[in-house]
Amino acid sequence: MRRALHIFMALLIVVLVVGLYKAKTDAAQTEAYVRQLQHQIVDEEADQRALNADIARLESPGRVQDLAQAHQNSLKLSPGAQGQALPEAEIGARLPAPRGARANPSLHP
Amino acid sequence: MRPIDPVGALAREPFAEIAAPEAAPARNRVRFLAISLLVLLVLLALRAIQLAFAGDPLAEPHRTTPAAYTSRADIVDRNGVLMATTVRAYTLTAAPELIRNPAETADGLRQIFPDLDRDALIRKLSDQGRQLVFLRRSLTPQQRRAVASLRLRGIDFADEEHRVYPQGGLAAQALGFTDIDLKPLAGVERGLDDAIRAAGEEGRPVRLSLDVRIQYALETELAAAALGAHASGGGAILIDGRSGETLALASWPSFDPNHAGDAPREDLRDRVAGDLHELGSTIKPFTVAMALQEGRTSPGEIFDLSQPFEVDGSAISDENIIRGPATLRDILSRSSNIGAARLALRLGADRQTFYLQRLGLLSPTSLELARNQAPIVPPIASRRDIAGRGFGYSLAATQAALAGAYTVFVNNGARVRPTLIAAAPGEHIERTQVFTPAVTRQLLIYLRGVVTDGTGRAADVPGLQVAGKTGTAEKLGEDNQSYDAGRNFSSFAGVFPANDPHYVIVLALDETGAGEQGGAVAAPAVGRTLRRIAPMLGLAVEPRPATR
Repeated sequence: MRRALHIFMALLIVVLVVGLYKAKTDAAQTEAYVRQLQHQIVDEEADQRALNADIARLESPGRVQDLAQAHQNSLKLSPGAQGQALPEAEIGARLPAPRGARANPSLHP
Repeated sequence: MRPIDPVGALAREPFAEIAAPEAAPARNRVRFLAISLLVLLVLLALRAIQLAFAGDPLAEPHRTTPAAYTSRADIVDRNGVLMATTVRAYTLTAAPELIRNPAETADGLRQIFPDLDRDALIRKLSDQGRQLVFLRRSLTPQQRRAVASLRLRGIDFADEEHRVYPQGGLAAQALGFTDIDLKPLAGVERGLDDAIRAAGEEGRPVRLSLDVRIQYALETELAAAALGAHASGGGAILIDGRSGETLALASWPSFDPNHAGDAPREDLRDRVAGDLHELGSTIKPFTVAMALQEGRTSPGEIFDLSQPFEVDGSAISDENIIRGPATLRDILSRSSNIGAARLALRLGADRQTFYLQRLGLLSPTSLELARNQAPIVPPIASRRDIAGRGFGYSLAATQAALAGAYTVFVNNGARVRPTLIAAAPGEHIERTQVFTPAVTRQLLIYLRGVVTDGTGRAADVPGLQVAGKTGTAEKLGEDNQSYDAGRNFSSFAGVFPANDPHYVIVLALDETGAGEQGGAVAAPAVGRTLRRIAPMLGLAVEPRPATR
């Protein structure tokens, strides 16, 4: 009986120690993984900052105006003139008919 | 006494004799297992003690800073548009002891950096007395990849931070710049250094009051005006007069803060808060307001300004002589030095100084920049000094201070301190009452008159109701004793819309030529700017007549 108890205690110690070792080792591995993820986040954020800077540069008013001027001729863009504006009464006539109305011809004689 | 058991002894002996040859190895195995188990238990126990009490030696300290940490925060405009940021860059390093062939390594590196001096590079790579040498800083990720692809032995990289200004030269003097070690050298970078560092640690941006769109419009119009007037420089500032928030702060010529080291020193100057000038006639509205406030004149008073005004033996005259009766409105709309001098003398030095102090013209502004130039305020020595100060001489201040003073016309006579930091909703705005609302309203009528039928007509934008005052101050000549009529400081200062004033604008051109007065060179630039920015401010202007 006493011998069995000794064996049981020894096994218990072994199980506890091995369990503790495994738990701590797993925790260390998880922590290393978290650190790796954090480094990855930092790297991603550094990339994101660089991309944000690039977006801001691309959208800067000076660059946009230069592009607009460069493409002005090819796109034939120009500021709208007052003569191009429609009288208010004509706007309704120029608008496309609503979808429901198109399906029902009786609404549009 | 031991009992005699011949049977038992006899009975065991033959068995013992039979079992004896196998017992020794079995015991050895048991001992071996026991010892192994003991060793294992001891090792595990030691590891358990180590883990339990000392922690995991592989574990690094926990990260405490936010992932977005940078040593300097992003700077954004009032709408969140990025104006300055910190990006990752790399330093190219070499370990000379690992480099077998410095010449070959140098040639490899020069494929990517042709500007590197070959001889100097070889010397560095051969310097066995040093463990690590720095070859080049601020490498981009692309350059890093290019170098890494060469697989040069002994060549490595170290991470560093690099300050980038994505808007290029936009608001360059306002933003300022840092050196390669991110030490702030100018502008907001230096003026708000502590706040930028603190925000960087918290991973949040610093939000300025500037608006990139308005800044661009102001800068381009300022540059066009300065080039057109052959000015040596120029500055402009636009303020939300109610909150003091600076929406645009422009200096010309400008520079690219990404390459500040390559820019001429002259281009780095912030001309709005850093340059001092005798402001000229843009001061006159304050002289009129002071006289009204002190009861030294009234809106109905008639002046005779047809003759030069003698003060201490000097004659004060007007560029455009006003013949016939003149009112306070005429003094401003036709920019009469004689009228302003007379009003100033009625006030006296003490009251004049009191009001100038309240207007913030006798102390540096507090824009969050590296430098706010303190004004030059010579002591009043004669009546001539008082009179001169009445129309903008004998006092040198910055355009930023002038813009701050003009906020009185937006806030019913109270001055608001200009700032470059975006105001939080509901934030308390400190106001210094200078004039009464009644005096301010009267002045707004006069200032509107300057733009409708006075010297500032070119600043008028139909539908916007601009009110303001032109200024043309002659600059001191080479001898520093007399004024040079061929070198002017031409400006326009105003508020808009006059029926419900909200914004203040000051635009000035330095060293314009003879005849290039504020009304001729600064006022038109203000008009063009306001036409462009009015829609951004939610203000309506009348459409331009169609051009065919």
